[in-house]
Amino acid sequence: MSRGAGAVWRASRAAVRRRGAQTFVLGVVVFCSTVAIVVALGLLESVSAPFERAFEGRRGAHVVASYDPAEVTAARLGARAPGVEAAAGPFAQAVVTVAGTSEHLPPGPLTVVGRPSPGGPVDRVDLWAGRWPAGEGEIVLDRPGADRFFSYLLGVRFAVREGHTFTVVGLASSVSRSAEAWVTPGQAAALGPSTAQMLYRLDAAATDADVRAGTAALTAGLPSGALLGWQSYLTVKRDAGRTAAAFLPFLTAFGVLGLVVAVLIVANVVSGAVVAGSRHIGVLKALGFTPNQVVAVYLTMVLVPALAGGALGTAAGAVAARPLLDDVGAGVFTVSIGPWVYAATLAGMPAVAVLAALVPALRAHRLPAARAIGAGVPAAPGRGARVQRLLAGAPLPRAVSLGLGLPFGRPGRAGLTLAAVVLGAATVTLAAGLSLTMTAYGQAAQRTGSVHTVVHAGQARNHQTPPRHGDAEIEALLRGLPGAVYVTADAWIGLHLTGRSQPITGRFLRGDSATLGETVVEGRWLRGPGEVVAPSAFLDKRGLAVGDRLSLSLGRARAETTIVGATMDGAADLIQADWRTLTALAPDQRATQYEVRLAPGADTGTYHAAVRAADPGLYPVPKSGTDPVTVAVIGFASLLTVLLGTVAALGVFNTVLLDARERRRDLGVLKSIGMTPRQVTVMMVTSMAALGAAGGLLGLPVGVAAHRLVVPAMADAAGLALPEFMVDVWRAPLLVPLPVAGVVIAVLGALVPARSAARLTIAAVLRDE
Amino acid sequence: MDTRDERLVVRLGDVRKEYGATTALDGLSLRVRAGEAVAVMGPSGCGKSTLLNLIAGLDRPTAGTVEVDGQELGALNETGLALFRRRRVGMIFQFFNLIEDLPALDNAALAAQLTGTPARQARDRALELFDELGIAERANAYPAALSGGERQRVAVARALMNRPALLLADEPTGALDSRSGEQVMDLLIDLNQIGQTLLIVTHDPGLAARCASRRVELRDGQVVAEQSLDRTP
Repeated sequence: MSRGAGAVWRASRAAVRRRGAQTFVLGVVVFCSTVAIVVALGLLESVSAPFERAFEGRRGAHVVASYDPAEVTAARLGARAPGVEAAAGPFAQAVVTVAGTSEHLPPGPLTVVGRPSPGGPVDRVDLWAGRWPAGEGEIVLDRPGADRFFSYLLGVRFAVREGHTFTVVGLASSVSRSAEAWVTPGQAAALGPSTAQMLYRLDAAATDADVRAGTAALTAGLPSGALLGWQSYLTVKRDAGRTAAAFLPFLTAFGVLGLVVAVLIVANVVSGAVVAGSRHIGVLKALGFTPNQVVAVYLTMVLVPALAGGALGTAAGAVAARPLLDDVGAGVFTVSIGPWVYAATLAGMPAVAVLAALVPALRAHRLPAARAIGAGVPAAPGRGARVQRLLAGAPLPRAVSLGLGLPFGRPGRAGLTLAAVVLGAATVTLAAGLSLTMTAYGQAAQRTGSVHTVVHAGQARNHQTPPRHGDAEIEALLRGLPGAVYVTADAWIGLHLTGRSQPITGRFLRGDSATLGETVVEGRWLRGPGEVVAPSAFLDKRGLAVGDRLSLSLGRARAETTIVGATMDGAADLIQADWRTLTALAPDQRATQYEVRLAPGADTGTYHAAVRAADPGLYPVPKSGTDPVTVAVIGFASLLTVLLGTVAALGVFNTVLLDARERRRDLGVLKSIGMTPRQVTVMMVTSMAALGAAGGLLGLPVGVAAHRLVVPAMADAAGLALPEFMVDVWRAPLLVPLPVAGVVIAVLGALVPARSAARLTIAAVLRDE
Repeated sequence: MDTRDERLVVRLGDVRKEYGATTALDGLSLRVRAGEAVAVMGPSGCGKSTLLNLIAGLDRPTAGTVEVDGQELGALNETGLALFRRRRVGMIFQFFNLIEDLPALDNAALAAQLTGTPARQARDRALELFDELGIAERANAYPAALSGGERQRVAVARALMNRPALLLADEPTGALDSRSGEQVMDLLIDLNQIGQTLLIVTHDPGLAARCASRRVELRDGQVVAEQSLDRTP
């Protein structure tokens, strides 16, 4: 280290030690902002990049298509098609039904594809445990391998209703989600395949339109009924990142707010350090430090806490983002924050701090040594004086009127502090709006008030007692017990849309289904058989709309239905239909649960006891009133609000600290003429409370605007169609107290340094002067 | 006219003040009667300013008692001391210590406003004092626009706002040119002659001789001499 650099370092180190409180504030501000930004950037990356990497690495299929083998030959399917980069297949595809006797596999349909190997030009299946099937009775199941949780399935034997028994010899995952299980081609042929699967990689597949056009080109010239269904990789990609994508808009909003607040406060802290340290600058220059070395001292002084805050914030951000990232991969692939995010925040946040410091540090560069040593850089005489003069005659306690005038003495600093409080108040407003929206969504999703109890019928395979009563008898029994008002029986059945490999879930309802409290955002609720309602996410995922026809398959049975309504629900693979529609698919199906609404005032516990007494094979469970997504969003919003509110309050803390330091003489004089400690505290807190009130009022529209941007973006990403009342949550009772957030931030930030100012020793201050 | 009476305004009993290893006042006792003008003199570091700070309630003694206008200061907390300063003492400083952001009149009015006096009433009282001190026409000027003598008169007006029992002056002419210094001395004499008790800390023997009725000499934190004075004209 050169002698000059050593001197700069020693001077910086001394400055850091001398300004302990400000150094700490700067470090905490950078820390909090970094946490918010790492989470936001990490999510941003994880929503797209890991899927892209995995998809390209395994040569995922842009299109998974199912053809009717009766309509088109294998040779025709295998022929080279225009716009296709690579193709694999045809593979025989059959749907078998897992028998209800298996302990390890849920009963219901299973799409099985016959493939000779996991490799090939398209959709290289990741065989992460065991081996590929080599003969009859062997099967590989599609299970996520991220944490090897499903390893216990290796060696499991299970039967299907079609009369075959399988042993699980391997576990694999397909990034294209092309099947739920794989067998040898010979085994697939023995299962009586109803469709032939083709896997395609297209020359152009960047957008939905590209994929649609490519698929249309594939089927040009084929008989009209040849293509039974197809699935785009973009659907799979959106599905994989749906949860995280929903979080992204609000995390980004919080991240941007955090970054701006951090820059404002860093600029404020550093400019304050230059002003407060003006005498120090003069001494440094008198000792022979060049202007550039003085700038270097001030930049280093900022860099030390910024590096520490940035490093700790990056680590904390990585930990905070982990639970969300686990959702993004959905178990299909492991998601981690890319090194560029860490590099960007580790280098970027200190760089932002140094850039923010540069302007005030350059003031130190220009400050003449004699002036710095002689008089420091006091507030220009008379600045803010006009305001103080006006306030002196105001009918207010003098400590209050003096406090109100203080910010005008340092308009630049007051402006930066105000901006930080505005953003802090905007953050609180945004979080409050998000919480209201999510609470309303959660109540609608959980149908709070519509269903109080869910009664499950016991199942032997779950080691439960089967019910003594029949399905219809149970419904009647539950309806007849004291307290019950409405009872809806339902069955959750695994189905397929005819011709598509990915399973969906059908919820079939009997009884008082109109009272379930489902939020219909388009169309209407069910009125009879042959109708389905589906969440808007379901429709978006498949390019469907209310009024479209939908063919449901269960094994070989089919039911033709019409979509009559869209619900708000975010479930992308769920439809709901009348029980009579199920009768066409599975005539013997029993209800698996019964949803009960109780009369107002009826006791859930008493009702549960009556249910258990009437039939020990019935298992009543109180309906949960908590939606996990709501809890997660409100939790994250609250965490980030606390972080950013703390950052804004620290900005206020720093401003009061600087004001008190610069006005030590005035404070000493005021105390010498009889200002009490309480009056000093009131004066200093008032100076910031006024800014807080202004910041709260200005932050309110900013927060409301952010909410207006973020909520639709979140809903869109999650595939939700929110009714207007969930978006327009701003009512007078909320709008009135929200501006108080600015005052709260300001008062909390100001209180400690104000009380410290009140304890100032007058004799020492006046002696120093 | 001798305005002194036997009522004690200041009574210090065996006061010690230590700053770490340094003893600023060493068992000092002092009494000031109502209407007296006492000049405290001595070399730098003898404890003059420390004595003034203790009497003003700006600092606390390490040991001993400080009683001003019948109030034992040791019994007061910080708020009590602030109320004491507000009601019982007025202070003027060598460097005036005015608030730069406030016009002269508001600087003076501030002392009354802190007691809860309405702004108009406080300004009227300040204007009355400005009139008496000959600076009424400078009432709306900011401190930066005032001469040293004018600033010190504003400081005197501020100190007198709440009609204190004791006026404390710390080198009141130390930062003034000789003409302004003379004017301030005349002002202090006038105030004492109408009954205002004064305690002046000064290096200036001329100020002591002109303004004080008694001179107290400090050295090493102790009173080493006391002398009654006949004021020189």
